Amino acid sequence: MSVPASTPALEVRGLVKHYPGVTALDGVDLVVRQHEVLGLVGENGAGKSTLLKALVGLVVPDAGEIRVRGEAVKLRSVVDAADHGIGMVFQEQSLVPNLTAAENILLGGEGPGVRRGVYRWDAMRRLAQEQLDKIGSNIDPLVRTDALSFADRQMVEIAKVLRIEQRSQHPPVIVLDEPTSVLEAKEIETLFAQIRRLREFASVVFVSHRLDEVLEVCDRVAVLRNGQSVGELAAAGAVPRELHRMMIGSTGSDDHYHENAAAVVESERPRLTVRGLSGTSFQDVDLDVAAGEIVAIVGVHGSGREDVCRALFGAEPVTAGEIRMDGKKINISGTRAACAAGIGYVPAERKTEGMVGPMSVAENMTLAKQRSRCAGPFVAPGKQAAVVDRWIDRLCIRTPGRDTPIQRLSGGNQQKVVLARWLVDGDIRLLLLDHPTRGLDIGARSEVYRLMRELAASGVATVLLADSLEEAIGMADRILVMNDGRVVSEVACPAGGKPSPLDLVKEMV
Amino acid sequence: MSTPVALKPAAEAATGDGGPRLGRRLTGFMPLIALLALVVALAIADPGFLTQRSLTAVARTAAPLIVLAAAATLIVLCGGIDLSIAAVASLSTVLLALWLPHLGGLATPAVILAAASIGAVQGVAHVLLRIPSFIVTLGGMSILSAVALVVSGAGTVRVVDDSTVKWLELYVGGYVPMSFVMALVVVALIALALRLTPLRSWISATGYSESAARLAGTPVDLVKIGAFVVSGAGAGFAAIMLVSRQFSGGPTMADNLLLPAVAAIVVGGTAITGGHGSVWRSLAGALVVTLLRVGLPIVGVPSAYEQILYGVIIVIAVTLTLDWSKVSIIK
Repeated sequence: MSVPASTPALEVRGLVKHYPGVTALDGVDLVVRQHEVLGLVGENGAGKSTLLKALVGLVVPDAGEIRVRGEAVKLRSVVDAADHGIGMVFQEQSLVPNLTAAENILLGGEGPGVRRGVYRWDAMRRLAQEQLDKIGSNIDPLVRTDALSFADRQMVEIAKVLRIEQRSQHPPVIVLDEPTSVLEAKEIETLFAQIRRLREFASVVFVSHRLDEVLEVCDRVAVLRNGQSVGELAAAGAVPRELHRMMIGSTGSDDHYHENAAAVVESERPRLTVRGLSGTSFQDVDLDVAAGEIVAIVGVHGSGREDVCRALFGAEPVTAGEIRMDGKKINISGTRAACAAGIGYVPAERKTEGMVGPMSVAENMTLAKQRSRCAGPFVAPGKQAAVVDRWIDRLCIRTPGRDTPIQRLSGGNQQKVVLARWLVDGDIRLLLLDHPTRGLDIGARSEVYRLMRELAASGVATVLLADSLEEAIGMADRILVMNDGRVVSEVACPAGGKPSPLDLVKEMV
Repeated sequence: MSTPVALKPAAEAATGDGGPRLGRRLTGFMPLIALLALVVALAIADPGFLTQRSLTAVARTAAPLIVLAAAATLIVLCGGIDLSIAAVASLSTVLLALWLPHLGGLATPAVILAAASIGAVQGVAHVLLRIPSFIVTLGGMSILSAVALVVSGAGTVRVVDDSTVKWLELYVGGYVPMSFVMALVVVALIALALRLTPLRSWISATGYSESAARLAGTPVDLVKIGAFVVSGAGAGFAAIMLVSRQFSGGPTMADNLLLPAVAAIVVGGTAITGGHGSVWRSLAGALVVTLLRVGLPIVGVPSAYEQILYGVIIVIAVTLTLDWSKVSIIK
């Protein structure tokens, strides 16, 4: 059967996916034309990864439809997707390191490469070579993949994905999820040449955070924001700034960040003073945070800001430098010492590091400050009930009860419990917030922002690693820009005099 | 400093359902149900099984296993495993037999202290050198077995004067073996310590997610070393029970208790992956394991079939008692 050239290779209409507490996709539309490279961009949490997973059958959407060459399909697994000619090159590579390139390329579909359960290496080599030839690669199929460079392994991945051509008579759709994130400039050029080559016989969906790259290699770019399609533009002639504006949108509601509740920074009361802090991935970091102040650290992946944050909490080794709290020099030898010094940390990975899923709300909330629920060495049930219920009430944590396992709460409520952990004994002096709103929907985010404002107003100093530049600008009184392990600039960020995201981006890259 | 924090009240309904459902409540009692079912099955197979004589024999046999399993449960709850318990117990029987003539009444606490110290050393090695507990205790098992052989001269050490450990062979009320009562006391003490203090939270958090526990400032390292100390002490106490019964110490005397002890822990429903479980569950598990070991021959199951039945029942029991909703990874 033949498909008219005008029919889109892949079409997504009104795709919806809910997770508990979060709407990841909220009616997404997307069209991928035949022999086109489509860019897909959006901020963290915009729904890109959920959309990609839906395209390869790893996520089953709650509503909406996916059409392949005009025909509605249900994709329930990667195999389903492959049968319809859709394949994905994953961000984290999926090759088995101690097998040869040929074995990886043919894994699970060896065909004539195996006879009577035994590899026939000449056939394996020939079959793998056929795939590699499609992308013009000169990698030896019989070399072990762990001996290849990252860029070469990516080529093997692409060759592997192209096997789906055998499953469907139509030109395939290849999805590349952030393929450039760890490549060198020269390797990126090679990859782009490869993508242009793919376009001759396939359609490509290209996902990247680097907007200039997206515009360079793509024909068209679609933008997602908050789980919705907010527009698309032709790549030719477009500039990154336009894309970025579409990604972050107009600043949303007038006071999403509760700026009118911003605390008065007591700059004469330096709470945290860091001088010359160095560790494995950061050097010579100076940082001051006053009581009531919110300082955001921004930087691209690998800038070292997460490690600085963890080092301040004693969860990452420090090789040099001095940390003072309220003028007094302290030695943060480990997380317990940090807790004792009145420092609290909210990790970015809430589900694995922030909370203990099967344990109750009460146990999670009092985990760091056992004294808040104890009388002497013993847990006092009455005291625990009182303190936990008070904070459930104060932070409006929606939970069936204090004994409910925290994993049954929505993301926003889980995060409030994790935050409350540092507040229960009223002795918090410095809060380190590592992506505190990651994966939260807009309402829950707003509540977290408001809580941050109130804590600042009570004199708590805050270091924020924001989920987006917009969030950093909206919440912070001051912004430090980190690049390659060093603080490269400091930008004042007072209410009414906020810098623009583009000014910051210039410093970050 | 006070933190006056209040958010505007939200009127939305709470997510999730309320109290525990019947099924969920039942899973908590599953080890007990499995135990009762086994007793009933044995009684049906042989009505003569429910006599005071055989029940006393079960209780006496179960006592050292209960202590071993209950103490080692703490390590499993922390997400680790202690393979050295039986070797520590064997070595402790030798030490007790050697020390009794010199130390008299002090030999008992001395042996428990020595066993606890061995646990501490293994715990420190596990925590500071970051060696997996499986490896540390596998090595420990081998080393301590060899030490027991050397110290004992590779033979049984007879106890001439057992007056200071004989009290364990008394019967409370004429029927209940003192060693069994002491095993229950050990279980109760550990259970109470967990229930009444923050230890329970610390241990569970460590077992479910060590990184989350650490990032909440929980004393993860101390908790783990503490668990190894308790596990060692438990092995020492089990050794005293064994010596009081056999009037001797031997370098391999407790070695055949390792797998039953691990079986007791998992049959009780404590997750081998850590976090979820309790010492009460291990008590029930130890009784199930002992009932099978002692009960199957009593009711006349041929010895060849006994092993088959034992294996089948263990697997079924674990399937029943494990609370699958609390355990995400099965490996």
